[in-house]
Amino acid sequence: MTVPMGDPAATAAGSVEPWAGEREPAQKPDEPSLSAGEWLTKNLFSSPVNALLTVVFSLFVFLVVRGLLNFMFSEERTWRAVKTNMRFLFTHAYPQEQYTRIWVCVGAIAVLSGLSVGLLARVGGGISMKKLSMNLMGTGAVIALGIVLREPSAIVDDEGLALHRDVSEAVGGSFAGWLDSNAFTVLAVLVLANVALAVWFHRQDTYLRGGPEPRIAHGALVLASFGVLMVQQYASGEVVRESFADAMLDRAWWWLAAAALAGAGAALWIGLGDARRRHTFVPAMYVFFAVAGVMVLSSWVYPWGHYGFLEGEFIAEPGSTVAMTTKLPWTVMLLLLVATYHLGRVLRAARAGPKLRVPLNLLWVLTPFVLYWAVLRDPDLDWDHVLSTDLPMALFFAAFGGLVMWFLAHPRIGEAGRVIAAVLVAVAALNWVAAYLGWYPMLQKARISFLLLAVVALLAHNFAGDRSQRMKLVAAWVATMAVFHWLVTLVNSPSTVDTPTDALIGGFGITLIVAVFTLLLAFPMGVLLALARTSKLPIFRVLSTAYIEVFRGVPLITVLFFFTLIFNLFLPQSMTLVDIAGATIGFALFSAAYLAENIRGGLQAVRRGQYEASDAVGLTTVQRTLFIVLPQALRVSIPPLVGQVIATFKETSLLAIVGIFDFLRIADKVISAQSEFLGVKREGLLFVSFIYWLFAYNMSKHSQRLEKRLGVGER
Amino acid sequence: MSVSDATTALTEELAARDDMIVCEGVNKWFGDFQALDGITAIIKEREVVVVLGPSGSGKSTWIRCINRLEAHQEGRIVVDGVELTNDLRNIEKIRSEVGMVFQQFNLFPHLTVEDNVTLAPIWVRKKPKGEAEELARSLLERVGIPEQAEKYPGQLSGGQQQRVAIARALAMEPRIMLFDEPTSVIKEVLDVMKELALSGMTMMVVTHEMGFAREVADRVIFMEDGQIVETGTPEHFFTDPREERTKLFLSQIL
Repeated sequence: MTVPMGDPAATAAGSVEPWAGEREPAQKPDEPSLSAGEWLTKNLFSSPVNALLTVVFSLFVFLVVRGLLNFMFSEERTWRAVKTNMRFLFTHAYPQEQYTRIWVCVGAIAVLSGLSVGLLARVGGGISMKKLSMNLMGTGAVIALGIVLREPSAIVDDEGLALHRDVSEAVGGSFAGWLDSNAFTVLAVLVLANVALAVWFHRQDTYLRGGPEPRIAHGALVLASFGVLMVQQYASGEVVRESFADAMLDRAWWWLAAAALAGAGAALWIGLGDARRRHTFVPAMYVFFAVAGVMVLSSWVYPWGHYGFLEGEFIAEPGSTVAMTTKLPWTVMLLLLVATYHLGRVLRAARAGPKLRVPLNLLWVLTPFVLYWAVLRDPDLDWDHVLSTDLPMALFFAAFGGLVMWFLAHPRIGEAGRVIAAVLVAVAALNWVAAYLGWYPMLQKARISFLLLAVVALLAHNFAGDRSQRMKLVAAWVATMAVFHWLVTLVNSPSTVDTPTDALIGGFGITLIVAVFTLLLAFPMGVLLALARTSKLPIFRVLSTAYIEVFRGVPLITVLFFFTLIFNLFLPQSMTLVDIAGATIGFALFSAAYLAENIRGGLQAVRRGQYEASDAVGLTTVQRTLFIVLPQALRVSIPPLVGQVIATFKETSLLAIVGIFDFLRIADKVISAQSEFLGVKREGLLFVSFIYWLFAYNMSKHSQRLEKRLGVGER
Repeated sequence: MSVSDATTALTEELAARDDMIVCEGVNKWFGDFQALDGITAIIKEREVVVVLGPSGSGKSTWIRCINRLEAHQEGRIVVDGVELTNDLRNIEKIRSEVGMVFQQFNLFPHLTVEDNVTLAPIWVRKKPKGEAEELARSLLERVGIPEQAEKYPGQLSGGQQQRVAIARALAMEPRIMLFDEPTSVIKEVLDVMKELALSGMTMMVVTHEMGFAREVADRVIFMEDGQIVETGTPEHFFTDPREERTKLFLSQIL
């Protein structure tokens, strides 16, 4: 796991012939580690103005953090509402006896994640010991700061209600009382003293070159300001609180945790020494395993309490450990993740990575469809209909279309291929005319499949080649048909299959499902729209521009209302879209417009020479677009695309407004209507925000890694 | 043998070969600006022609018209017996027979060197993948950079990129190679181009590299303001040019 340090001799030898040698970047020599004092001087107090900015903004952060902590840990918070309704928040009223399905899905995601990370993560990469120990010490320090900042707990009576007092009576005359009434003046004096200090030292010309006095003085003034704020907080409340010393003692466990983290970090820091802590890496997954392991282990031993809401009964057993139905599955999930991660490492060591990349990516794309099925399948599904109608239809189109593709991808097909495809397109178009005129009744699914077949046939000659190329085209077609028929069978009911509805799952589950399917639909649409908008054919350009401008000009919520309330009126009688499907389509159409604009930006960044070079080697327009232009355009547009993905993920909270029981709605409406927790909303909303943030933050982090790996900006 | 004798001998020998590129009265405008003005020339099989001229004289435009990266507006261009029209099939046919090496190389930055070379053989020539890879390896060997196959263009120097660009064009097994001002002409690239010329490839090279013109060219064409000013063997061109404009250009550049 140790990477050798750069060898200066090797670097010099590599630069003899600029064109012949590899351009391996020379290894940068280590920058010297700064001591804490040097770091502060360099970053926070480098000039009088910077020092003042540091002072003012740290006071601001202090106030915000204190407010948040006091809110979260106040005696008035009913966090039990969140604990009790955990399952509600994540899956709504998913039937208890069917819950295994949820765990199968989580397990499938754990297996795929473990395998992917294990296969892709760099050998010897990860988090450096320096960063790890700094993070540990930092976390310890933040916890310690939190312990001090949070106001002392209120003293409660026998019924658990906080005791109140008359403020003026309780602290009148004392120093604390005086400070309370003059807090603003005192703080203003302290801040102005900071200004005066900075100016004075600056005049003396000793600000940076002199000793540490100015910074020590600044620090002392900042600490004094914090002190004023804390005493003021203690004196101003109407609630009777325990003394500061008692509060600190009460939080002994927290102190212990902070000390343990900071101690571990410090031990690593001191024990390893500078060079080793920079160049020793621990895989990021191990850090994750450690944290998750501690959490899972604690669920078996620590009395977190067992809370729940089952069949109308509220469960509250404060002294016991977490319910078996929670801790057992999570333990299994963690073990699955650890096992598959190591399996991935083994496969990587066996150099199976390049071979497995395509199947793994395919699995990732197909998994949502399978999981969607696993979670949402109606227990009373009409299997006879599926077997008698849907399955044969899917098989027919897969086989027939596969044969057509195989034939049309023959290397010497030439003009004949295009003619056959054109005939297929004409027949497909007439088939739709027939549908509108009411002739030849046929399931819509068959009509759409045939149209798809014709369009793909039109493109087939671009992918002509030897056996393996033709097989790829056939496989792509079969996969398209499988996914398409699966989705239509599930989401829609043109063939009278009972569809699962939003009644089955809700909460975060529905948020994820809608977000994932929105993106799966919106991405291809966005790419097509962007290509159409930059196309040479005016009809495509006009249509795509009109589409984009319309959807960007309409509020998302109206689009959602249209697709959940009005759209069904336009559909043939046998067809209805359930709310989730309608909302997903609305989201997808909306996001596609935005994605298209982002991708168009990327398309414009592809240089003209790339088009010319593709033309000069004889690629067709379709091949040029697929192999040359799109890969480069998409790579450039990763940052805005991820921004759009995150926006879409958060926008799913609008589901609450169109009447779907999504994550936000459970926190906002469902919990606060329960008899135990009437009107308790704020805890749930804070929790929901945290989970949204956690996911969005991880997406953003992941995209940064992706950008780095694909070398955006290097080109 | 005098210069004029040599010219006569060459003309006779060339007359016996097939025409590869025929241009008759080719005119092209960019807006109101006339880029090509009545270009008429015949380039024979296995001939190496160097096109010289000051910048803006229309040299690049001319060779870009020959594989239809630009469309001419008047006149006829016939490449290997196929006339260039708007008919898509003709363009496809000609592009698969004419290889082009660009001034900026225009390699595909997201593909490895090997994939850059195999892309067109697989998708345009419909070659099996293994065969295309073998071809790529032998071509990279031929241009002298077999060890760079797994790298990306961004990791290569200018001269190496230029050679990849030549290999990519050769992978289509063209009958004609067009070189559009290969800027960073280092020795290795020149060697590759000379070797190509000796192997009997029909070549049209727009360049400022007088050495290459002197050593390798069968014929030099001098252009200015979209017109062909003078044509002749290198000996004739560099030692005894007829036209005033040619003399002026040579005095500036030599």
